[in-house]
Amino acid sequence: MSNAKYDICIVGSGAGAGPIIYELSKAGFKVLVLEKGPWLKTKDFTKDEMTATRRDAYTPHLKDERHVVEKKDSKGKWYAQSTEDTGSDLWNGSCVGGSSNFMSAYFHRLKPKDFRLKSEYGPIEGANIVDWPITYDELEPYYTKVEEIIGVSGKVLPHKNLEPRSTPDYPYPPLKTNIVADWFVEGGKKEGFNIVPAARGIISEPKDKRQPCYHSNYCGSFGCSSDAKASSRAALINIALDTGNCEIRPDSKVFKLENDSTGNISKVWYYDFNDMKQSVEADIFVVACQAIETARLLLMSKSDEFPNGIGNNNGQVGKNLIFAGGGAGSGSIRFDQLSTEDRAKFDAPLTFVNQTLLDFYEIDNAPELGERLKGGTIDFLIEHANPMPKAFRSKYKGNTLLYGSALKENLKDYFTEQKRVRYEIFCDWLPTDNCNVSLDETVKDKWNDPVGKVKLGYHEHDLIVGNYLAEQAEKVMKNVGAIDINRSINGNPPTNLIAGGCRFGNDPETTVLDKNCKAHEVNNLYVTDGSFMPTGGSVPHTFTIYANSFRVADKLIERLRMTSDLESIG
Amino acid sequence: MIDDKEIAPDLLDSISTWQVNRRKLLKAGLLAGAMTQINLFTSCSTELKSNNDVLNAQQSLVLETTLNVLFPDDGNGPSADDINAFGYFIWAIQDDLNRKQEANTFIIDGLDWVNKKAIQLKQTNFYSIPANHRTAFIDEMVKTKYGKKWVSAMVTLLFEALLLDPLYGGNKEEKGWKWLNHTPGFPRPTEELRYEVLMKKQLKIKQ
Repeated sequence: MSNAKYDICIVGSGAGAGPIIYELSKAGFKVLVLEKGPWLKTKDFTKDEMTATRRDAYTPHLKDERHVVEKKDSKGKWYAQSTEDTGSDLWNGSCVGGSSNFMSAYFHRLKPKDFRLKSEYGPIEGANIVDWPITYDELEPYYTKVEEIIGVSGKVLPHKNLEPRSTPDYPYPPLKTNIVADWFVEGGKKEGFNIVPAARGIISEPKDKRQPCYHSNYCGSFGCSSDAKASSRAALINIALDTGNCEIRPDSKVFKLENDSTGNISKVWYYDFNDMKQSVEADIFVVACQAIETARLLLMSKSDEFPNGIGNNNGQVGKNLIFAGGGAGSGSIRFDQLSTEDRAKFDAPLTFVNQTLLDFYEIDNAPELGERLKGGTIDFLIEHANPMPKAFRSKYKGNTLLYGSALKENLKDYFTEQKRVRYEIFCDWLPTDNCNVSLDETVKDKWNDPVGKVKLGYHEHDLIVGNYLAEQAEKVMKNVGAIDINRSINGNPPTNLIAGGCRFGNDPETTVLDKNCKAHEVNNLYVTDGSFMPTGGSVPHTFTIYANSFRVADKLIERLRMTSDLESIG
Repeated sequence: MIDDKEIAPDLLDSISTWQVNRRKLLKAGLLAGAMTQINLFTSCSTELKSNNDVLNAQQSLVLETTLNVLFPDDGNGPSADDINAFGYFIWAIQDDLNRKQEANTFIIDGLDWVNKKAIQLKQTNFYSIPANHRTAFIDEMVKTKYGKKWVSAMVTLLFEALLLDPLYGGNKEEKGWKWLNHTPGFPRPTEELRYEVLMKKQLKIKQ
């Protein structure tokens, strides 16, 4: 293990880190990556439900690492519980490549109006809505870059909320879809809706050493065995390693950013595989270990210059945490309602639907909700193919726990006589004072460091928008023959889509980062995961995190080259 | 009548013996590696029922009987015996890498509890209740909070025995998948990529 000083040290290796690792390694800079989790390779990923979902072998053990979650009870009183006690954790994937290894990879761009949410739609009481310090036009080239370098498949069709594009279409053709995709399009037409193909961060043709999607049957929550899925590891880090400029240190848990008397970071401290404390020096440090842990690391890094945590002299670190708002619903299509041919096609092990409804990204035809308000995205899909979630749906009839022959009959019917189709809704999770990250004063992790305390408040407006979108989605669900439709729109956040906590902006008093994602208060600290986002838009965040990280990579290269030029002159 | 407030089972005399045996097994597992243990769980279910280091003889009989009530041989697909549910349970409840250890303990405690209730209400061990009366007895158990929670946990493990990869001891000869027309994901896990191997990497346990 080298102890040389690196040009850049990156904490984390997921979607926010990958583009920095890739671009700076290719530009010839010495890059070190400190990743908390193990280094799993493509060959390590199988479609094993035991590993991926039943025993959660891709995330930390809650006895070792946990959070304290603060929520409101039914009477509106706040209460806090350790996730070790509740068993419901906030981890998403702890390994090289992070949670991008396990994402479903729905890649929607933000729309131009998402960048100026306050200006377009005005303030909402109780929500800390702001405009972004950059525009869509500034990020557009980087969305295009993600599509090309990481590999995005799909087909651009016109719709009323289509964002401007510098290229006519995605670089990879759409993935093969189940016949129900066509039914959703037709079901939308009956309502006057324009359902269009959804792009995926999954390649449909070979790229470099990556193989195209082979429709493994298990996708979301599972690692990809062909590297078709655009994980940071497969799409970026593996290429960065080929340059010889990139070093990955897995099993390295960073716990402190140490600054010098000028306020710059001089080194980072981490626990190695054997839990021994190690440190490393670099010129520039990038933190990208997902929003909650990023805020926690900054808050833990206290010093004389930063008594409240590094970059936090204005008390903004951890504030305005956001998730993807919205929710989901599902219904069953029974096979006895279909022709023999349609049944065979629908029941085939082909799980992609990849159809999306964006007509309601802005809602201007619902006077009961207001003249004009921000709406969101509706994706249509089939329930995951792995069998355990299906079995759990068969466990009860009403409130009655089933066992014996009644259970077997229910299982047989669920698995062989129907298939469940779903919709997922994405709308803004409005930032509020009740959603944030701090350090818990009593609960510690296995290294005796304070764990992150996550306050999970939401704005009622999110549910109003979510329910409106669900009503539109359910019209389509009924048109494709779905019955027993249920809906889950509530204030429980999707814990795989987390952002905010280190807002970027032009005002150092109210934001943590400047528009280039450099900490206002620290000259050599950048944050490039989803933490920078002041609002999240009405889409999953991953595509935007990738794009922004490529944007920041350009700024870093420019800066490092300028420093290098100055040194050579000096 | 069953007392709904009584949710904690009494300790049986054999519990201390069981604990000693379990510690021995876990120690052996750590020394030998889980993979050698799984061969035992997959290959000789009959032997396991009469002699295993996880449950005492009475607990084993209660488990076997319960499994065949919860997933019977009724002509509709495989039974608990057909999928080697017993072998899977023995593996699952000794798995010390499972982050929910209390769930394993709960399963074992419930075996003692249900048998104690049988003795209390029927004056006989659960496995000695006539076969055609056992479902009715479980129906009564499920009316209690503890009983419902325990049967629910048993059904969850039965689902795993039915539907997870046969690598883990259940779903023998893929009978669960075949019955439900299920196509597994590909590639399937191998002995070298069992969950324990990946979990040890996550937990930084040297292998």
